[in-house]
Amino acid sequence: MNFVESAERQALREAVAELGRSYGHEYYLEKARGGGHTSELWDEAGRLGYLGVSVPEEYGGGGAGIGDLAAVCEEFCAAGTPMLLMVVSPAICATVLARFGTDEQKKHWLPGFASGQVRMSFAITEPDAGSNSHRITTTARRDNGGWVLNGRKVYISGVDEADAVLVVGRMEDARTGNLKPALFIVPTDTPGFEYREIAMDLVSADKQFGLFFDDVRLPADALVGSEDAAIAQLFAGLNPERIMGASFSLGIARYALGKGVGYAKERSVFGAPIGSHQGLAHPLAQVKIELELAKLMTQKAAALYDAGDDFGAGEAANMAKYAGAEVAIKAVDQAVQVHGGNGLASEYGLGTLIGAVRVGRIAPVSREMVLNFVAQHSLGLPKSY
Amino acid sequence: MPNIVVLVKQVPDTYSERKLNESDHTLDRESADAVLDEINERAVEEALKIKEASEGEVTVLCVGPDRATDAIRKALSMGADKAIHVSDESLHGSDMVATAKVIAAAIGRVEGVDLVIAGNEASDGRGGAVPAMLAELLGMPQLTHARQVTVDGSTVQVDRETEEGLTHLEAGLPAVISVTEKINEPRYPSFKGIMAAKKKPVETLTVADLGVDAGEVGLANAWSTVLEAAPKPPRTAGQRVDDEGDGGTKIAEYLVGQKLI
Repeated sequence: MNFVESAERQALREAVAELGRSYGHEYYLEKARGGGHTSELWDEAGRLGYLGVSVPEEYGGGGAGIGDLAAVCEEFCAAGTPMLLMVVSPAICATVLARFGTDEQKKHWLPGFASGQVRMSFAITEPDAGSNSHRITTTARRDNGGWVLNGRKVYISGVDEADAVLVVGRMEDARTGNLKPALFIVPTDTPGFEYREIAMDLVSADKQFGLFFDDVRLPADALVGSEDAAIAQLFAGLNPERIMGASFSLGIARYALGKGVGYAKERSVFGAPIGSHQGLAHPLAQVKIELELAKLMTQKAAALYDAGDDFGAGEAANMAKYAGAEVAIKAVDQAVQVHGGNGLASEYGLGTLIGAVRVGRIAPVSREMVLNFVAQHSLGLPKSY
Repeated sequence: MPNIVVLVKQVPDTYSERKLNESDHTLDRESADAVLDEINERAVEEALKIKEASEGEVTVLCVGPDRATDAIRKALSMGADKAIHVSDESLHGSDMVATAKVIAAAIGRVEGVDLVIAGNEASDGRGGAVPAMLAELLGMPQLTHARQVTVDGSTVQVDRETEEGLTHLEAGLPAVISVTEKINEPRYPSFKGIMAAKKKPVETLTVADLGVDAGEVGLANAWSTVLEAAPKPPRTAGQRVDDEGDGGTKIAEYLVGQKLI
């Protein structure tokens, strides 16, 4: 067992951190508050190959793993420049296409993922099928050698920035007549496809959307891979999503902890830095411990996934997502507390994170569903739902 | 096709607390994070730009302890082709003259050098004399404090900027150049650059390998000795002026008192 990351991954982290810091949290907030996107940072990161680290080399990517992509995601968040679309576009979509796409699909899409020029959203959640993906009603029917897609999706990230959306739908099984899952690539300019921004009380440079598919005609090759591989495709995509979600949370936790510790060292009341008081020092130390634990589990999940153990990675990825989200909430809360009133002043760059980290407890899978998973699969307790 | 050697140095991060050892007043390398000096990143960037314009080869040269390999890897990940690392315990505490001799000897190992590019001054020692000494030892023209460099066939033009003003210099190759922070913005290493760096050749040499006399290097042979070192005293609180309608006058009076106006 090796608990030290490779020299290359450490160098990657340093390079990404430096790039992220050169933009900084103020850049992020300016974009987020103005309704813009962090396109400049995304494009530069793409050109440097940071967004394509896990895309296979033969398609122009870095040929590395999800562990490396997760490190990139974490470092951008730790620099105060989180890029939510990283969780979706290179982690889920590029992975699913690299592992299950047809040769044509790979040739068409993967070079763009490698350079960051392609952005793809991922759509699974529906108004009536949140955590229950068995109740997905977005349905494709065969039509003239192609597909016609109908349905709705909600809380889909970054659709306005995306070239296409990877849509989880269902189709009729030719043999049994039952509905089975299927993944479709829907370019965002396809007729019949509409998306509307959902007003959110979040300050984020990546927006949330509701999606409407109204008799959307798709060519035959819009279906990802073969008809019967959808479950495996989902598994292949959802583990990286959880690992990236964990890394996203961890990065913000690091950013907040850094802010809190920095302030605790500098701010002096009653003649001593406030960090000398255990009432503030101990909670920060606790955050540090929980952060390192969550990071270790995230690295474990990524290592298992990159070793090809999809099933083994599932448990670790869920636990990492849970732990990352919880410590991020705690880190931001404590950093704000250390700052007193300044913690909520715009100038100090912490206030908007209160909402941002709360997302991690809900998405991509809720805290409760993770606990259900662990209770049932790790502990063997009876299924509760 | 210029053959370029870039000098790089690992220094304590300027963001961390930098200290000298109490025993011998040399740099306390354990007390701070070690990084590739930023000015060297610019030197590497300039070398890479010249290489990209007309091919050629870029060799990174570093004199420093074993862990300076991190700084070398950074330069290689930016795109340099290979590296020479002079690492020898006996170099500990070497002064600028000894350092320049070692660097000159190491440059002698690279065949057909056209350009040596250095930063004008490292952020730790801040002597700023090594490039000039090196040019003297190599018998090459020196073009220091460059804010712009143009290589044209067998000559190089440099805009040299100092506090006194701007000088336009030209010299025949081979030459030694030192660059200022105005020269360029260094690139970030790409992921492919990072992955390629580990496969690039790094030649590690000792003082003996270079044929430099051990009696010329190290703390004991330095031409000057640090007797005492103390950190700058922290700034005093200053004088507070309360504005009761006459704040401007009071500030003017203070400045007059200090003979500043």
